Amino acid sequence: MRHLLATLLSCVALASCGVRQAPNEIVVQRFFGTCKAEYGNRTDVENAEGECGIMTTLINRFSAENPDVKVRVSPVAWPGYNQLAAQLASGDPPDLVTMHLSAISDYQSRKLLEPLDKDLRAVGVDPNGFTAASLVSVSKQGQIYGLPIDNWAPLWHINMNYFRQAGLVKDGKPILPRSPEELLAHARQFKQATGKPYFVQALANERAAYTRNLYTLLMQQSVDFFADPQQVKLQSPETKQVVAMFRQLYVEDLTTKNQDYAAATNGFINGAGGVYLVGTWMIGDFDAESRKAGRPLTNGYAVMPWPQLYARDATFIDGHAWVMPVRDRTPRQRDAVFRLLKFLADHDFEWSRTGHLPAYKAVIESERFNALPHRSEIAKIATTGMPLPSAVQRQFPVQDIIGEEMAAAITGHKTVDAALADAEHRVNDLLFHLL
Amino acid sequence: MTTQLSSGAVGRGLGDRVILAATIALAIVMVLPMLWAVGLSLKTNAELLVDTNSVLKAPWTLRNYYDILIGSGVFRWLLNSIIVSVGMSLGVLALSSLAGYGFARLEFPGRNVIFVLVLFGLAIPEQAVILVRHQLFSDLNLHNTYAGLMLPGMSAPFGVFLMTQYFKAIPTEVDEAAMLDNASRFKIFWRVLLPMTLPAQATLGIFTFLHAWNDYWWPLVSGTNEQMYTLTVGIASTQMNFAESAGLGYLMAQAVFAGLPILIVYMFFQKYIVRAVSGAAA
Repeated sequence: MRHLLATLLSCVALASCGVRQAPNEIVVQRFFGTCKAEYGNRTDVENAEGECGIMTTLINRFSAENPDVKVRVSPVAWPGYNQLAAQLASGDPPDLVTMHLSAISDYQSRKLLEPLDKDLRAVGVDPNGFTAASLVSVSKQGQIYGLPIDNWAPLWHINMNYFRQAGLVKDGKPILPRSPEELLAHARQFKQATGKPYFVQALANERAAYTRNLYTLLMQQSVDFFADPQQVKLQSPETKQVVAMFRQLYVEDLTTKNQDYAAATNGFINGAGGVYLVGTWMIGDFDAESRKAGRPLTNGYAVMPWPQLYARDATFIDGHAWVMPVRDRTPRQRDAVFRLLKFLADHDFEWSRTGHLPAYKAVIESERFNALPHRSEIAKIATTGMPLPSAVQRQFPVQDIIGEEMAAAITGHKTVDAALADAEHRVNDLLFHLL
Repeated sequence: MTTQLSSGAVGRGLGDRVILAATIALAIVMVLPMLWAVGLSLKTNAELLVDTNSVLKAPWTLRNYYDILIGSGVFRWLLNSIIVSVGMSLGVLALSSLAGYGFARLEFPGRNVIFVLVLFGLAIPEQAVILVRHQLFSDLNLHNTYAGLMLPGMSAPFGVFLMTQYFKAIPTEVDEAAMLDNASRFKIFWRVLLPMTLPAQATLGIFTFLHAWNDYWWPLVSGTNEQMYTLTVGIASTQMNFAESAGLGYLMAQAVFAGLPILIVYMFFQKYIVRAVSGAAA
């Protein structure tokens, strides 16, 4: 019986074990994965590669330069919002969190994030130095709720070897369409010349891509589809025209079909089509592929923002930011948080090597940024990039709903009219029932 | 008679062969994706980004496994998973045995009503109570503790039901004989009846262990501190964005690594698991 009691007491003691935060310790919760095997103790940010490598070495260097601060990095499974919601509910959120710009509204509207303006300025980070796209994304009700890390946008990754074959290259630059009609004409011309589809698209598990393209083409027509942040309007003639164009591309086999993200990426690398519609983050991989001999992309890779098909040059953008959840902090912790934010802001160029667009005007205008491969072609997104209105909440599920319905229309399971009516109804229902 | 027997034997032989062939075919269907995952885990991410069929060609590498072992807190997470799974299994066994004994052997007011209430638990999905439970654990400061990770799984209506049925199946004469020998109620439970329920305990223990080991949802929202991650949550946290294309080899190595302990458990307890599954089916 004594043994049983001792065992039980040991179990209770073990069960109550947990982790407590030291007064000089800050918890930094982020996605981007872990890569400690390669970058665990390294501080040479300049030599690091990829999102994980650069972020890990950045924080390592900050820790090395600030020995009085203990930074505990807590990586989370992408995107980490379930964990964050749980932490906020239990009153134990981290000190800094990576957050998509499009998700900030969800937390800021419930007063779960701290405004950062005053403290950022105090440590020498001036929000006026953010790019227009970044500034508007972190600004809510006249205050700054995040330190922007970057912007990303759907881009046209182009196989120039096929474009050349299709007669769509002039002066070494890809000839891009300037209207929906021209886009269809180019796609047909491309297919006829190469036998390949014009577009490579990841649609099987990445339907948000449809939505981002739709947003872009509506923004180019200056359609204010979220005039009321709680009510989307998707049954306009402009929206129908865009969806009908994607449907036409699908019907005429001018796009790859039924591919998930991995298959589409793999397909583009192996020459499955002319234009891969995917974000900024793939530039490095495709550029590396173009430098290998005997590959479909060898010496034949270009990347461009969405071409201007309508009156306005605009591209839907999202991005990442550091946000600071509301919680009690010691003065030392608060000081450490803003020192780290200042450090990260000062090193934004390093982050831009990932392929993402810098969040700071000074970096995007710098020679060293424009000297990076293909960056000068996409730099204009810093001014033409547009997020959804900052008051729109639940942007991730909204993207999914619209993408699902667009997929139904494009593949012919629903008419365009029915799909857009359903999308509008479902999104508005979601937004109506927000707490 | 002889003719009948031999034709029956031939028929049974043919039937057996058909069943065997079907079983082998199904086994191949089941095993191939796992072998493919193992193969992918032995290739570099860069190679797989270009061509996943490269899995069939050398070179292969253990780099992804090295990255898991060196590049993360995997041993801490492994320890956490062991503590949580073993702790939860022991807790479920203790509570379910006591409750099962009570429902099967003791007369007390409201016994049937309480038993039905316990059984209602089988019909309520975890998702329906997770918010309230999270708030409760938050108020009790139990998040990011082993207790917080273990306690929810210890309320096991299936375990109570199983043990109740098992205790009921043991003749009451056994208790009466022990009482004649002057044994107390607890002694009868502890020394006489409990050893007789070992097969049921094994079934329940194995199922609970497997459930606790594979659980993702509750550990994700309760053990939010990296030091308290279980293996499932920890391994997921190491994935880069778009791991399915840019980090496929590492992703597959994670899947293989996370499955290994369960495979080892299965190898050691195969007999009990098969018995448990067939017993549960019966």
